Formats: sequence, structure tokens, C-alpha cells
Amino acid sequence: MTATEETAENGTMIVCRDVHKWFGSFHALRGVSTTINRGEVVVVFGPSGSGKSTFIRTINRLEEHQRGDIIVDGIELTNDVRNIEAIRSEVGMVFQSFNLFPHLTVLDNIMLAPLKVRKWPKDQAEEVAMSLLDRVGIPEQAGKYPGELSGGQQQRVAIARALAMQPKIMLFDEPTSALDPEMIKEVLDAMRELADSGMTMIVVTHEMGFAREVSNRMIMFDEGVIVEEGTPNDIFNNPQQDRTKLFLSQII
Amino acid sequence: MTDNENTAAAAVMAPPRSEVGVVGWMRANLFSTWYNVLMTVVSVVVVVLFLWFGLTWVFGDAEWQVIGTLGGQFIIGQYNTQTACPLDQNCFWRPQVGLLLATMVLGMAWGIAGGGTAKRVALAVAVVSAALALLPYSFDRMGMDVRVLLVANIPAVFLGLAITQYTPWRDIKHVTIVGVVSFLLTIFLLRGFEGIPGLQPVSVIYWGGLMLNILLAVAGIVLSLPIGIGLALGRRSQLPVVKLLCVVFIEIFRGVPLITLLFMSQVLVPLAFPENFPQNSLFRAAVVITLFSSAYMAENIRGGLQALHPGQAEAARALGLSGWQITFLISLPQAIRNVIPAIVGQFIALFKDTSLVYIIGMLDVVEIGRAFIQGNVEYLPSAKELFIFLAIVFWIFTYGMSYVSRRVEDHLRVGAR
Repeated sequence: MTATEETAENGTMIVCRDVHKWFGSFHALRGVSTTINRGEVVVVFGPSGSGKSTFIRTINRLEEHQRGDIIVDGIELTNDVRNIEAIRSEVGMVFQSFNLFPHLTVLDNIMLAPLKVRKWPKDQAEEVAMSLLDRVGIPEQAGKYPGELSGGQQQRVAIARALAMQPKIMLFDEPTSALDPEMIKEVLDAMRELADSGMTMIVVTHEMGFAREVSNRMIMFDEGVIVEEGTPNDIFNNPQQDRTKLFLSQII
Repeated sequence: MTDNENTAAAAVMAPPRSEVGVVGWMRANLFSTWYNVLMTVVSVVVVVLFLWFGLTWVFGDAEWQVIGTLGGQFIIGQYNTQTACPLDQNCFWRPQVGLLLATMVLGMAWGIAGGGTAKRVALAVAVVSAALALLPYSFDRMGMDVRVLLVANIPAVFLGLAITQYTPWRDIKHVTIVGVVSFLLTIFLLRGFEGIPGLQPVSVIYWGGLMLNILLAVAGIVLSLPIGIGLALGRRSQLPVVKLLCVVFIEIFRGVPLITLLFMSQVLVPLAFPENFPQNSLFRAAVVITLFSSAYMAENIRGGLQALHPGQAEAARALGLSGWQITFLISLPQAIRNVIPAIVGQFIALFKDTSLVYIIGMLDVVEIGRAFIQGNVEYLPSAKELFIFLAIVFWIFTYGMSYVSRRVEDHLRVGAR
């Protein structure tokens, strides 16, 4: 059975097999293998420099892996541009620094990809964009520029922007790390609502409260490998590895 | 009222009297320390003396007749002299029509911008053009028609405005098209056509004055921005050959003085075009000025592109946008906005540099004056009045550009925060 058929048949969304990534001579990912199922919410955590961001960035090919296989929703990631474009429109991503486009209004930020990539008519794109702004709770900000919003509002717009492409998977790369404490909650609430709706999510975060309440599975990264994975209950109450214990004791 | 005490404590109080108003401002800024007092007094004395002697000279001793004597030559050079324009004709109306087209395009710009800076610029150009008709100076072989055409600039602005209000031509695309067509039409009109009565050809060697500076500047500004963008993108290209070509082009054109390039243009530009390609000294000068300016423009834009946060392109890639879409929808709009001051600075430099075409024998507005003084020794004492006048003319144009640029920046600032 080929890898492509394997994922298309069962409920598997992402398959990673022995993924390696080098930055120059630095070995950032050293053989990462895991499988993520449809509807699963996976929290990826670990010390900084452990490769967790690099890992999720290989899933939509913002970073190219040099060895191993990554199969997303039945499409294998290769250098074929059509595959990359197909996967990018299936996978939404939210960044630590929001990365909204400052020269476009909130509404235009959200409508851009549906108009230019999906080629939707303007009415449809606008309707979807407005309903997404409604969903993240800031429809009244549609006409403003990103620079006029608070950090929490910007991150919620970024979530809406990623959702506008109607992705099957959402990647979150430390979505609350650049936020003031009082704004973290509003972003986590939006993510929690998204998880409840059945979205497949991979979240790199240090928010252990969110991990405990929302995630189905947690993956601990260190030095480019998966040290341990398990349910939040396993990880918090019965961690197997010393490195996991040490890391958790340092951040909780 | 239980929270009376709290309210009182949090009350917003006015600042102390000595800090506000004219007196407060003067105390803080002009007379805060003994050396500040000294500086203020010395500065006031210098300004008063300067104004006193300056104004007495301007309105008393200065001999401004030279300006009136040259008159229309400042505007069109020798375009309408008997050697340039056939004896039985008056050719002054042709540049006039070009000016009318320009004010009409400005009127359209006013229409689509809905007022603001575009309105002020359009009205200023029209009113100044119309006012020229009222000044008591001479045009070569001027008839009443010249003055009438100048005054017509005011209706021309409103014609442009009306086009955007009452026809479907009311977006930036149409204004651009009308602008480009008007410019080309003006060039053809100025050149004239063999065999059409009333439109006899006028050789480009007679094109001069401000008309020449403006034609070269407009062509240079309009073309150097897209060429510069292309070069900047090419210099950042992943393709080594494209990158090398752009680097070599930019470094050569930035590394050689414009004057040298202008000299070289007369010899080298012909080699770059087919033998029967119609060309002349004006065309060659325009090519060189445009390419020279493009090289600087490319570096300005590259600076803007490099200042962009890499997360911008990353977010766009994550959304599935293609490389071209990222460049034209995300990177360039932000890069250009960030370097507007540098771009306008380049436009201003380009406008001033158009004066250098005197080196290849063309009579731009400065050379008109200089050559006149040289040829008419009795006017030699008026050289200072002449050059002050020319400086003011250049300043008006460049200040206009810098004013528009500041307004555009203010307008875009909302998104730049």
C-alpha cells in the first residue's frame, strides 16, 4: 500500500516518517515520526530551539525537509509546486507575530487569499470574511487597519484570515507568546471554539492550561526529536521521560 | 456622593499658567537660559537685517526687466522663433494644448481623489497658468490666442473633473490611460507632421525652456519607477544571470556622472537601436536620464523591500499566494510606501538634473537665461536677478513635489502603524 492511499483511507490527516531538516550544518529535526488524525488537537511543546516550530513549518513547506516523508491529507510533500500550493490552501497557519498585512484593511486581509487563490467572486469572499470576523468576535473592526487593533484583536484577525481559505488543518506557531497577559484569553477562547468545531489543529504553545483542557495529545520536543507523546493526563500526571519532567517542572 | 474624595484626587488639572499660551511657549523655547536669550536676540537681528536688505533690493534696486524680456522663452525656449516655426505660422498654441491636456488630467485626478491634495494641485496649476496670461511680458510673435489658451486652463481643469463625474472614466486606470495618451499626443503635436498645413514639423533642437525640463522630467519620472522596480526585483532574483545583469546595470549607471552619460548618449544610444529608428538628441537625452534615474530608483526600492519583515512573505506563502502575487500584492506596496520620501527625493533630483542637457546643446530654462546674458552684454548686471528668478522657478516645482509627497505619506500613515 502506498503512503498516499494509506492516509486517504483511514482518518489520518498528517503522516510524518523519519523527517530530517538541516539549517546549514545544524541538524534541526533528527528523525521525527508521528501521525495526526482528523479532528485531533495536538499541542507541541518543549524548550526553545528544540525544533518544534521548525516541525510545524515543514508541514506547509515553509521549511523544506531534506529526508523522510510528510503526507498531508493524502498529498505527499515534494518539490512539485502544484503539491505545495495544494497543501498550502488546505493548511492554515497562525504566527507568533500575527503577520497581518499592514497596508490592507482587516476585511481585505481576510478576503485576499479567497479572492486571489480560490478565485471566489467578491460578494462571496466578503460574506465569508464577515461571518469569520463575527466568529472571532470583532465584526466591528472590519474597516480598520491592523495597526489600529490591539495584539489580541490582530491575532484573532489572523485566525479568521487563515480560516477564510477553509483549511482542513490549522497550525499555530506560539500564537499567544507576543501578547500581553490580558489578551491571551481572547485568543485562546477563539482557538478553543475552533477545536470544539472539530478542526484538526497543531499548536506550538507554552500555555499548559490550554493544553490540559483542549488538546487530545501532547508532543514533547527536545533537540530535534520527539521525546515523549501522550494524552495531557499522561504527560502532566505520569510523564515517562526525565527531560519531560524537568521541562514541565520549569514552566509550571 | 460617596466617591467624592476619589473624584477629587483623580481630577484632571490644567497645566500651570507659565507653561501654556504665547508667553509660556516663549519662555520655554526662546528665553529659558541666558545663552538661549542671546541666541534669540542674535537670530532676530539677523533675520530683520536680512529681510530689510533683501526686500529693499527686491523692490528697489533690482532690475527685473530681463525676466520680461525673455518672457515666453523661459517657457518654450526657441520653439516659436522664426527659424523653428515656419514664417507664416504661430506654433505657440501647440505646447499650450499640451498644457491644457495636462491640466485636464489633473482635473480628472481631482475627480477620482474627491478633493484634497489633488484638488489643490490641479487648481494651483490652472490658476498659475491662467495668471501667466495677465502678466505684461512678451511672447515671440504672440497673438491674443496665446493668452486665451492660457486662461482656458481653468475650464480645462473643470472639464477633467466633469469627465470623472459624468462619464464612466472615473477610476485610476482611466486617468493613467488619458495621462499617457495626452503625453504622447503632446509630443506628436510638438513635433508636427510633414505635409499637414498648420502642423509643420518643428525640430527638437528648438524645444527648450521649462517645456523641455518638464517633458524630460515627466518621461523620466513615469518610466524610471517601473524600470527601477524591475531592476530591484531582478537584483533580488534567485536567477544568477538576471541578478548579475541588474547589478551590472545599476552599478554602471550609478557609477558614472550624468554629464558623462549625456555626452556618451549621443554616441552610444544610436548603437542600441536599429539604424532606421527615428531618434534625435532629445530622445537620447531622455533615454539616458531615465536609465540613470532608474538605477537610483532600483536601490531605493530594494531598500524598501529589504526593510520588510520576512513574516509578511511567509504569511502570504502560507495562504497559498504565488510568488508573483506576493511580490505585487504584499511586498511592493509596502516597500514603496516605506520609501516614498526617497522616491520623491529621486524625482526632485531628476527634475533638477534635466538642466544638465545644456551640455549637449539643448536650451533648457537655465540655459535660455545664461545664453541670453552671454549674448547680450548690456544685461550682464541683471545676471543675479535672472538666476534668483530661475532658482525660485525650480523651487516652486520641487516644493510642489515635496508637498504632494508629504500629503501622500500622511494619507497612507493609517496603514503604516
